Amino acid sequence: MSLQGEAALILRGARMQSRVIGALIIREMHSRFGRHYMGYVWLYFEPLLLGICIGLIHAWRDRPAAFGAFEFHAVGYILFFVFRGILNRATMAINMNKPLLYHRSVTLPDVFYARHIIEFLSCTGVMLAMLFGLFAANGSLPESPLKMALAMIMMALFSQGLAFLASAVTAAVEGSERVVHAVTYLLLPVSGLFFLVEWLPDWLAQMALWVPTVHLFELLRDGQFGSRFRAEYDLGYIWGWIMITHLIGLAALRITRARIGLE
Amino acid sequence: MTISMKLSPPITLSEASGRPLSLSQEPEPAPRPWYARFWRRPFFLLVILPSLIAATYFYGIAASQFVSEARFVVSSRGSEGGVAASMRGMAGGAFGGFGGGGASNETNSVRDFLTSLDAVMDAHGKLDLIAMWQRPEADWLSELWRTEPELLARFYNKMVTVSLDPSTNVTTLRVRSFRPEDSKALAETLLASAETLVNRLSERTRNETLRVARHEMEISEQRVQESRAALVRFREQERELDSAGAVQAAVALRGQLEVALAQARAELTERLKFMRPDNPALQATRNRIEALERQITSERARHTETTAGGDGAVLARQLATFERLMLEREFADRQLASATASLETARLEAQRQQLFLSRIVEPNLAVYPLYPRKLVNVASIVVGLTIAYGIGWLLIVGMREHAA
Repeated sequence: MSLQGEAALILRGARMQSRVIGALIIREMHSRFGRHYMGYVWLYFEPLLLGICIGLIHAWRDRPAAFGAFEFHAVGYILFFVFRGILNRATMAINMNKPLLYHRSVTLPDVFYARHIIEFLSCTGVMLAMLFGLFAANGSLPESPLKMALAMIMMALFSQGLAFLASAVTAAVEGSERVVHAVTYLLLPVSGLFFLVEWLPDWLAQMALWVPTVHLFELLRDGQFGSRFRAEYDLGYIWGWIMITHLIGLAALRITRARIGLE
Repeated sequence: MTISMKLSPPITLSEASGRPLSLSQEPEPAPRPWYARFWRRPFFLLVILPSLIAATYFYGIAASQFVSEARFVVSSRGSEGGVAASMRGMAGGAFGGFGGGGASNETNSVRDFLTSLDAVMDAHGKLDLIAMWQRPEADWLSELWRTEPELLARFYNKMVTVSLDPSTNVTTLRVRSFRPEDSKALAETLLASAETLVNRLSERTRNETLRVARHEMEISEQRVQESRAALVRFREQERELDSAGAVQAAVALRGQLEVALAQARAELTERLKFMRPDNPALQATRNRIEALERQITSERARHTETTAGGDGAVLARQLATFERLMLEREFADRQLASATASLETARLEAQRQQLFLSRIVEPNLAVYPLYPRKLVNVASIVVGLTIAYGIGWLLIVGMREHAA
C-alpha cells in the first residue's frame, strides 16, 4: 500500500475536478444567460433588485425601529437569496446536465459545485455592492464583516447540502420538485429574515432556534449591527446541519447516479 | 490508458460509480491477519483512534467536577417592567400581538454583573479562585492554565453559568469546580455579591428618587421662612400690623368726612335761602366746610401722595408692599404644601421600587460529580468524527474518479 501514490492520485483527481468545475461554471453561465455581456449583469441584478424591493417595502412599513428597516431587510434578503437560489435550481440540475454525465470526468456533484459557486459569488458581489451603497448613503459600516462573510459561507454550505438532498429526491420521486419550490416559499416567514430572536416571546424564541437558518440570520445581523441587540446563535448547531446534509446528500447523489445510469 | 478507453464500450454512469473504493490499488503480496491491516485503515486512524483517546481521557484521566446550583429571583414590591413589556408587545405585534413577559432590567443587570470581570475579581478577593481551579486533583486539560485576570475571567465564564428564565424571572447560577466545598463556597460568595449589587442598585434608585423631592422641599421651606421674615421686618419698620385694615379705616374716615362735608354744604345752601349773607350762623357753617375740606385734602395727601421728606407714611405704597408680602407668603405656603405632598409620594415610590434578591434554592453541596459529561462528550466525538469521515470519504472518492 503506497500512501504516496494514493496521495498523488487524489491530488491529480482534485486538480482535474477543479478544471471540470471551472469549465462547468463557464458552460452554466452561457446556457443561463447566453453570450451577451448583459446576461452576466443580470446575474447580479436579480438579487440586487429583489433585495432592494423587499427593503423598500419594509422601509415603508417601518417595523424594526432600532435599525434602518431598509438595511435590515435588504441585506437579509441577499442571504436568503443564497438559500433560495441554490435550492430552487437544484431540482433542475440533474435533468439539465444529464447529457454531460456521459463524460467520464464529469460527476454529479461537480454540476452542483459549479452552480453553487456561481450563486455564492453573485450574492457575495451583490452583498458588497449593497454594503458599499449603504455606506455611501448613510455612512453605516457593518460592525464585523467577518461574521457576515461566515454567515454567507455557512448559508451556502447548508443550502448545498439541502440541494444535494433535494435533487436526489427529485430524481427518485416524480413531481417532487414542486414541493421543493413550495417549501422554499413557506420557509420564508420562519427563516429569520423578518425577525430577530430577541423580539420573539420566549416560547416562540425557543421554537425559532430549532430552525437552522434563524441561527444564520442572527449571525449575519450580529456582524451587521452587533452592538445594538443581543444575538442568539449556535454555530455548532449549524455545522451539525451542514455535515449531516452533506453526508446524506453526497451519498444520495451516488445512489442517484447509479440509478439514472440504468435508463 | 487512452487505448483501453477507446476499446472499452461506452462507459455508463453506473460503472463509474461502482468502482471498488478501497484505498490500495495493488493487492497485498502476503495477506496479513485482519487486525494487522486494520491498524492502517484510515477509518481506524481518523475515527476510532481519536475516539479511543477521547474515551480514555474522559473515563480515565479527567477529574470529576462538582456542580453547585443556586436559584434566585430579583423582585421589587411594585409592578415593574410595564414599559419593557409594552415595548416587547410592540415588537411582537407583527407576529399576532402577543406580549411576552420580559425579564426585568434589574435581573438582567445581575446576570451581566455575575459574568463580568468585576464579579470575578470580587470573588477572587474573597476566595482564592486560582488555587481553587488549580487543585492537585484537577487534570491538566480541564484546570486553569493562565492566571491573568482576563483569562481567569474567561475560564470563570466556562465554569460558572448564569441563566435566566424570562418567563418566570428565575435566575439559575451553576458553579463547577473540582471539590464540592469549593463549588458551594463560590456559589455562596457570588450570591452574596449579587445581593450587595442589588442593595446598592436599590439604594441608589431610592436616593435618586428622594433627592429631587427633598431638594424641592428645602427650597420651599426657605421661601416660607423668608416671606415670614420679610413680613415681620415690614411690620416693625412701618409700625403697622395690617396695612389693609389701615386702608379700610382711612377709607372709612374719608367717607365720613365726605358725608359731613356734603351735609355742611347742603346746610349752607339751605341757610342761604333765608339768611342774610353776613349772618354769623352762616359763617360758622362756612368755617366747618373749610375745615372739612382741609381735613379731606390732608387725608388724601397723607394716603396717596409722596411727601417731600421721604419719611412718608404713604398708605398706597405701604399697601402695595404689604399685599406683595402677603401674596408671597401665601405662595410660599402653597409651595411648601405641594412639596410635602410630592416628598410623600416619592417616599412611597421609593419604597415600591425597592429591590430584593430572594433566594429560592440555596447552593447545594454536591455528592456526585455531574461533570464532565463523559458519555455525551464521547458519543458526540464519535458521531462527529464518523460523519466528517463519511463526508471526507465521499469527497475523496469523487476526486479519485476524476483521476481515473
